[in-house]
Amino acid sequence: MVSAKSSPPDEQLVDAALSGDDQAFAELASRHKSRVFGVASRFARDAAELEDICQDVFVQAYFKLRQYRRDSPFEHWLLRITTHKCYDYLRKRRRSGSVISVDAMLESGYEPSAPQAPAPHPDLERLHAALAQLSPKERLVITLLELEERSVQEIADLTGWSAGNVKVRAFRARAALRKLMENKK
Amino acid sequence: MNEEDQDRQLDALFAQARSLRPDTSAAEFAFETRLLARLRAREETTSTQGLWAMVSWRLLPFFAVCVVGLTLWQSEIDSETDDAATIAGLNNPVAADLWSN
Repeated sequence: MVSAKSSPPDEQLVDAALSGDDQAFAELASRHKSRVFGVASRFARDAAELEDICQDVFVQAYFKLRQYRRDSPFEHWLLRITTHKCYDYLRKRRRSGSVISVDAMLESGYEPSAPQAPAPHPDLERLHAALAQLSPKERLVITLLELEERSVQEIADLTGWSAGNVKVRAFRARAALRKLMENKK
Repeated sequence: MNEEDQDRQLDALFAQARSLRPDTSAAEFAFETRLLARLRAREETTSTQGLWAMVSWRLLPFFAVCVVGLTLWQSEIDSETDDAATIAGLNNPVAADLWSN
């Protein structure tokens, strides 16, 4: 078992987890959960969905730990999984038809994304409702670019899309957001 | 409102949204414990399924031999039944008459 006091590097914890030490993996989760929760909270609708996304991220990381090639920090690898999981949830939501119009969302007292969100501001509510109307790809790109302040190259690395593709999607997402916000006025 | 103004407004809203990151500390509480519980549950399911899959693959040659054996036995029975029917038919004068005609 790995001692928490010595705070070994991530790679050492990965080795320990691979040799069957679940506490080492728990330590990895403890170290990186804030980043994962932070990103996922931009996409989750409520606390239950946030928990589901984060658990899915770490469960996948656990079972695919052997695929971590150590050519980049463990956190990057974990954030790539997080990005893909968030995208999967957005797609699942879109497929299940649970995307409703901006008006309907605001009338029903729509609560932007995650649990314990700060006091709602009308304009911010409008932004979140409009973001929820975008396609999963557009929503993912614009959220990572504008809310998480990731560069185009970073988004390309996280999603596996080309930088050009990311730029095009960001441009389209912005245009769609402008239109949605304008319609809501 | 023109496109530039809309962009400026959007940028301001994004900046506001960035500064108001949702507080996830309550959701993060004891996350590792829940995660480990789920991993254990999943591993148990996976190991049961894995054991069943391994057993079924190992038993595949046995099942194959059984199928081949049953097929051969069935064809043997069929040929014996055909012979008996022919003999029975030839000993029957009506059938033999029909046969010769």
